Amino acid sequence: MNTQKYTARKIVFILISLIWVLPIVFSVLNSFKRSGEINTDMFSVPAGDSFAGFDNYNTALTFGNYPFGQAFLYSVLISVVSTLLIIICCSMAAWYIVRVNNLFTKIFYGACLFSLAVPFQMVMFPLSSDASMFGMDTPFTIPFVYLGYGAGMAIFLFTGFIKSLPYEVEEAAVIDGCNTIQRYFKVVFPMLLPVTISVGILEFMWIWNDYLLPYLVLDMTKYRTIPIQVQYLKGSYGSVDLGASLAVIVMSLVPILIIYILCQKYIVKGIAAGAVKG
Amino acid sequence: MLKKSISSLLASALLLTLCGCNTQKSGYVYYLNFKPEADSAWQELAMEYTEKTGVPVKVVTAASNTYDDTLSAQLNKSYYPTLFICNNAQGLEDLGSYPYDLSNTELASRLENYEYCLWGKNGELFGMGFCYEAFGIITNKALLAQAGYSVDDINNFNDLKNIAEDIHARSDELGFDAFTSSGLDPSSSWRFSGHLSNMPLYYELFETDLTTQPAEISGNKLGLYKNIWDLYINNSGTSKTSLTTATGNQAEEEFGTGKAVFFQNGTWEYAALTDPAKYGIAPENLTMIPIYCGGDYEENCALCCGTENYWVVNSKASQESIDATLDFLYWVVTSEEGKTMLSKEFGVTPFKDSIPTDNVFFNAEKAYEEQGKHPVQWTFCMTPNTDVWREGVTSALAEYSAGIGTWDAVENAFVSGWRFQYRLEHGTM
Amino acid sequence: MKDPIKKYFPLFVLPVFVCFCLCFVWPFIQGVCLSFCNFFIPKDATFTGVSNYVTVFRDTSFWHAFLITCLYAVASIICVNVPAFFIAYLLKEKFKGVTLFRASFFLPNLIGGVVLGYIWSMLFDGILSRFGTYLTASPVFGFWGLVILVAWQQIGYMMIIYIAGFTALPEEMLEASQMDGANRFQRMTKIIIPNMKASVAICTFLTLTNSFKMFDQNLALTGGQPIRTLENGMQLKTTELLAMNIYSTYQINNHWHGTAQAKAVIFFLLVAAFGALQLYVTREKKEKKPKKTAASKKPSETTSPAKENKA
Repeated sequence: MNTQKYTARKIVFILISLIWVLPIVFSVLNSFKRSGEINTDMFSVPAGDSFAGFDNYNTALTFGNYPFGQAFLYSVLISVVSTLLIIICCSMAAWYIVRVNNLFTKIFYGACLFSLAVPFQMVMFPLSSDASMFGMDTPFTIPFVYLGYGAGMAIFLFTGFIKSLPYEVEEAAVIDGCNTIQRYFKVVFPMLLPVTISVGILEFMWIWNDYLLPYLVLDMTKYRTIPIQVQYLKGSYGSVDLGASLAVIVMSLVPILIIYILCQKYIVKGIAAGAVKG
Repeated sequence: MLKKSISSLLASALLLTLCGCNTQKSGYVYYLNFKPEADSAWQELAMEYTEKTGVPVKVVTAASNTYDDTLSAQLNKSYYPTLFICNNAQGLEDLGSYPYDLSNTELASRLENYEYCLWGKNGELFGMGFCYEAFGIITNKALLAQAGYSVDDINNFNDLKNIAEDIHARSDELGFDAFTSSGLDPSSSWRFSGHLSNMPLYYELFETDLTTQPAEISGNKLGLYKNIWDLYINNSGTSKTSLTTATGNQAEEEFGTGKAVFFQNGTWEYAALTDPAKYGIAPENLTMIPIYCGGDYEENCALCCGTENYWVVNSKASQESIDATLDFLYWVVTSEEGKTMLSKEFGVTPFKDSIPTDNVFFNAEKAYEEQGKHPVQWTFCMTPNTDVWREGVTSALAEYSAGIGTWDAVENAFVSGWRFQYRLEHGTM
Repeated sequence: MKDPIKKYFPLFVLPVFVCFCLCFVWPFIQGVCLSFCNFFIPKDATFTGVSNYVTVFRDTSFWHAFLITCLYAVASIICVNVPAFFIAYLLKEKFKGVTLFRASFFLPNLIGGVVLGYIWSMLFDGILSRFGTYLTASPVFGFWGLVILVAWQQIGYMMIIYIAGFTALPEEMLEASQMDGANRFQRMTKIIIPNMKASVAICTFLTLTNSFKMFDQNLALTGGQPIRTLENGMQLKTTELLAMNIYSTYQINNHWHGTAQAKAVIFFLLVAAFGALQLYVTREKKEKKPKKTAASKKPSETTSPAKENKA
């Protein structure tokens, strides 16, 4: 490709991208400012008096009597396990739905679609008590809640993709002597990579940032996640330690950014793999 | 292999599901606390109690602004709170048949007076106020002296107005202003749509009936509200259009760092203002004066005193748990540890032999009462559907202050808002 | 003859199905039942018939929120999809830095809604304060603030879907049309857009359901402000969307939990209807027009990933 052709495009996009990340840059900058300064002038760079060093981070880490590290670990555990569970179980279910076309799968698929339209408020009270009744109120079992509640979107995306897959490849595999399990995990699942990645991102982001569901479902006498911890930085009458909140936010962003940067290659590759022609 | 691991995963999940059903523990205490600020103190106290008696005490604090949701969700679970907080009479009514009658308990016998209690229709003691608070205008005496005045010069609205306007006019030369920012950000707006609205409500209802929630108010004293609000916003260093984003912390910081003389807030601010790690103002430089707004007999009025913190014991808990909870509370109000904690975190409590507080704001109130002034009742607790009503008033106040809206809109939000929210609160539209 | 997948039902579908039933269907059914009840705590609900629904239909604030939400959905579908489409068009080719650009557009998706709301309310207020005003001063600011926020957040995600769509375009057709002398505009309208129907359908579906379910950002950015108190004392939260209206109704007190539940049911029916209609309409078009091209592209496009991954 000639480079000249893209120069103008590059310049435009450099500018737009800069604007795009600006809000995030501001959050990071402000997390180093004293709380009072953040509110009066959020655009200034922390310097001199307004510079708080790592004070906000210190407050955030030591706040209250629930260790931030613990909340962090629970967040990681819940998000990772739930996402993996959703990807594996929902892709399998989606494949079954596409390949076995009977009344049951039709109804199940329809129900999944409808679940996308249900506001969380409608199920929140029943869900919280059901989950505690079924023992799903710990970080180790809450992934099943996410699997059930998040199945709709995942199955919707997986079926859409699987429908476009060629049946011939699978037929060839069956002729080669693959049983159904091998046929799924050796042939079908690898082909799902692009959609797996996008489902993975979508579900992971949702679970990582989700506040109300874990707050109501988890046994609140024992467990907290990062979004819940952020909520606890507020006082009883809504007073907020802005600096500390931003520090928590930045800290909760860091792992996501790292994962994103590490997987960025695969995300693009995954999407390309789904689209590049033979 | 994968099949095996998945199926074992499922099997274990099912097992967990089956035995996860929480069995009712015999006699436990589970306190759903309201104030995040007091969380640590409660946790420590609970731990000490468990160490001493072996009775498990769990203290959980609801995240800010979510108390009602949290309570609903938690009460619906199999391991539910045995003790919770209710804020006012309406809150008690909302709890339906959950409150337990505390009348003939040992705990009730520790009450010095029954002024701060919530009663049921048949005289049951359902809510027990465990602390009371006072609000007014916190004043920095040192700065006031620097401007050439003393607290004794302020005895009514006109005094306050003259002094505030004089300080504001000389603010450049003095280096500080009269009032802190009257922020209308949610972290600060309750000071005005909540506490400050007590003034017009009190003066209006004083002439009729201060004990029952009226279905309608006339708003005939809203002029007082306008007086004091105008005074606040015209005599501070914060621009009137930035009030919606001015937070409670901002006002606290302005006062704490000596940028303003007056700060409308309550006794609970004492710790933050005097804490050497935070603002470190010397206690002798602090006092609290009544909110003067031009009411007829305001020279006889002291600070606004009341409480929004009532203990309610869950009547639907097992008898063992109710007993355990009552025992725990009895210990809290009688033991040294408990009394020290209450006095430190909440100031004045209505229990016998409580430890006196060193909070100068309470002492100011005591001094006023000794002069023969009477405390102003927390009339604003009667506001129907409190949070929603306040939001309406706040929004109108913000627009009025920024010059977008009129004062009539504030009055409308106040008066017709009251009428409408009263109906909403009682279940009709 | 169908293959033997059927008997693998317990392994493939059962786990999801069980969780789906326990954590979604069952609470959902309970939720529907609760909408006919008056309750503070679900376990002691009392049956009240359809009175909750009657109340909802008489509630101006609900229908006001519905109207605002519809406007909002239209605005955000346009403001998200049009830029996302063109950004994707410009970023579909490989040139130096393209990964970085894509990454920076995608970045906002990594942040939770509440946090986004707070960051943007600070930003908007910081900017508006220079003009002597503030975000919640006018419903117009709040509304467009929400649109800007959601555009900023979702453009990146939709862009990725569109890029995937673009790269799946049949290149031979584009080349052929280029040789036939079609200009850029003709290529766009005659070939690219018709062939992008599937991506457009899924993106509009996602933006539509997202804007109907928008809650966190709404609560954190404007909280429904500014509030107008009508003559009769009713409060109209001028920037309150449907999901937040349901939430506000829960907050009133226990007389209103049932009504809020009824609102949630109506909300569900509305969103389901809109979603179904939208999917139906876009699917119709997709199947009518590009049938011939689809047939030619399918085998070549889809066999490749398998090959690539096996290798």
